[in-house]
Amino acid sequence: MDAFWIILTGFLVASSTGMLGNLLLLRKMSMMGDALSHAVLPGIVVAYLISGSRASLPLFLGAIIMGVLTTFLIQFFSSKGKMQSDAAMGTVFTFLFAVGVIMVTRFAGEADIDADCVLHGELAFVPLQVSGFMGLGVPSPVWTLLVLLAIIQLIFWAGYKGWLITSFNAEYAQSIGVKTMIWHYSLMAATSVATVVSFESVGAILVIAFLVVPAATAYLLTDELRFMPVLIMVQGALSAVGGYMISEALEASISGSMSVMSFFLFIAAFLWSKKKG
Amino acid sequence: MEILYKYLTLDDPNVRYVALSIVLLGGVSGAVGCFNFLQKKTLVGETVAHSMLPGVLVAFLLSGVKNPYVLITGAAISGWLSILLVDAITNHSKIKNDSALAIVLSSFFGFGIVLLTMIQSRYLGNQSGLDHYIFGNAAAMSPEDSTAFAWVSILVVILVIAYYFNLKAVIFNPDYAQSIGINNKKVKGLISFITILSISVGIKAVGIVMMSALLIIPPTAARFWTSRLVPMLILSGFFGAFSGWIGAFVSYAKTSMPTGPWTIVVVSCIAFASMLFAPKKGVVYQRWSKLLLKRRINEENLLKAAVQNEVRGKGKLFTRESIMTRQFFEFKRWKRTIKRLVRSKLIHKVNTGYTLSTKGRSYGAEIDRRHKIWEVYLQRRMQMSLHLVHDEAETMEHFLTPEIENEILSELGLCSRFNPILEIHELVPDTELL
Repeated sequence: MDAFWIILTGFLVASSTGMLGNLLLLRKMSMMGDALSHAVLPGIVVAYLISGSRASLPLFLGAIIMGVLTTFLIQFFSSKGKMQSDAAMGTVFTFLFAVGVIMVTRFAGEADIDADCVLHGELAFVPLQVSGFMGLGVPSPVWTLLVLLAIIQLIFWAGYKGWLITSFNAEYAQSIGVKTMIWHYSLMAATSVATVVSFESVGAILVIAFLVVPAATAYLLTDELRFMPVLIMVQGALSAVGGYMISEALEASISGSMSVMSFFLFIAAFLWSKKKG
Repeated sequence: MEILYKYLTLDDPNVRYVALSIVLLGGVSGAVGCFNFLQKKTLVGETVAHSMLPGVLVAFLLSGVKNPYVLITGAAISGWLSILLVDAITNHSKIKNDSALAIVLSSFFGFGIVLLTMIQSRYLGNQSGLDHYIFGNAAAMSPEDSTAFAWVSILVVILVIAYYFNLKAVIFNPDYAQSIGINNKKVKGLISFITILSISVGIKAVGIVMMSALLIIPPTAARFWTSRLVPMLILSGFFGAFSGWIGAFVSYAKTSMPTGPWTIVVVSCIAFASMLFAPKKGVVYQRWSKLLLKRRINEENLLKAAVQNEVRGKGKLFTRESIMTRQFFEFKRWKRTIKRLVRSKLIHKVNTGYTLSTKGRSYGAEIDRRHKIWEVYLQRRMQMSLHLVHDEAETMEHFLTPEIENEILSELGLCSRFNPILEIHELVPDTELL
């Protein structure tokens, strides 16, 4: 039964982040997942210090606020400050991560945050004690995850048209009166939510992988946009199952194995598309 | 104070090596980062730095020792592979560079995590210290590390100087570089080489994310100060080195504080300050010069309108109402513009209204003249129709310099004393005024 829950969680994470990743891919913003997963650290620490607990909700809120703030800062620096846009992203997220690490070190003594823990889990969700898939035996985290992922899916499908038009032809969208910035920020907010919700259970690295790899695989396999969601889900499911099997065989991290499995599938699609020309 | 003195004199051998290593690392990666920055590939460093984890671990598994040179070699090899893979994906599929970076980053790092957990479950107790290659540990810098940093710095400086011309050509104009026989691929390989070199020695000191930050942020800050390559390289290197020096001091003064993150916070602050206050490209300067320009345009518009009123015989006295027939002014804008013009003695207040001073009149007439000259130019040279030229000239009149004006006049075959007011609009000049 554990295996089932683990694979199901992996699949759910892959399909929801994959949907958003699809849009990020089209907008050439795939590194955003990496940036967000680092940048939310100070938000998590502050939320922890304010609420004084490891309860998920305050930490979610902290991380989500931080995620939106990060997006805003990147946008602000590149448009108002005239920073080169890739450099703006790099500067903002590394700076926030550095601030987060310093905060963790500073408050390590007083609060119950351990620098080593926070860093080892790649991000601050180890204090939540839901590292890896340990919490899955207990139904409650699984259900929260399911509900949250369902909400993300709903939001995604509700806003799909808006995101699509602003991704493909931002100028046209603007000219017919679509508020492109609102769509931009809402996609980023959704990505922050998906990132934060997911890496509580699967770890940051798998979130970064699932944000881009399944979408990229689907993108290689088809030119039809309407097939992409299905392909992304299939890719995610195969990665979850295959990754779980690899991790069983090697006694290694499940998240790591799933991201490796996802990469194998991508490479297969890459070779196939190359051969096909 | 005493701590600062002790830090500055480098009395403590521990701090000596840490400070020296970080300063060298900051300087080198600051300079190296410029090449990636100028190619708009700043995030390459992030991917390469993450991709080094499996290399370090494979090197450890194969050799069974934690010799830094062996592990750094492993790191460099997997860093190199990651760049090759990113290029292969970008060149041979429709996947864009940013996605390729994210794909390679997450899968190499994921593979690294797999290896790390495998090692942890098998070689219990022997693997401590490997995580330095993820999070960095500047405090553990040894004399050998400083020496390694010094060699890397020297090597990078030599390479950059030796290939300076090629690097510059390839970065700024790859097509031109190709045409004069420079091998673009080789030069890009060189950039990758120095990037990998500095990251592979650096991750042990400051960790993956901080290492990629050291490649991204100093060039970002330096770019606000200069547009030329050599000053940018030097400035960026200096920012990196200086921040490293402060970062090492913070961690020396308060031992629990990590060096890498403080270095990044310092260099980020430099970048933010540069973005705001740098001359020419800084936000404050740009805002300020925009404001000055707006003010000048308002003043010039007002003076021009006043002169035109005079020419049309509406009298020397003008008020907001009389100006408004030619040029719209909101009340606030009018007030402010008038105030500045009075202060600079271009107009005088005369009981119920204002009147132009001699200086103000010739200024306004000059603007009007430029306006007309541009209209003539647009009509005769650009074949623009009459009803379009006015709006164009409304903007250009504020930007025509005497040099451009002369050039236009000579191109149109008109003498420099050409007075368009007379010739185009066929107005009878009020001799008393002009």
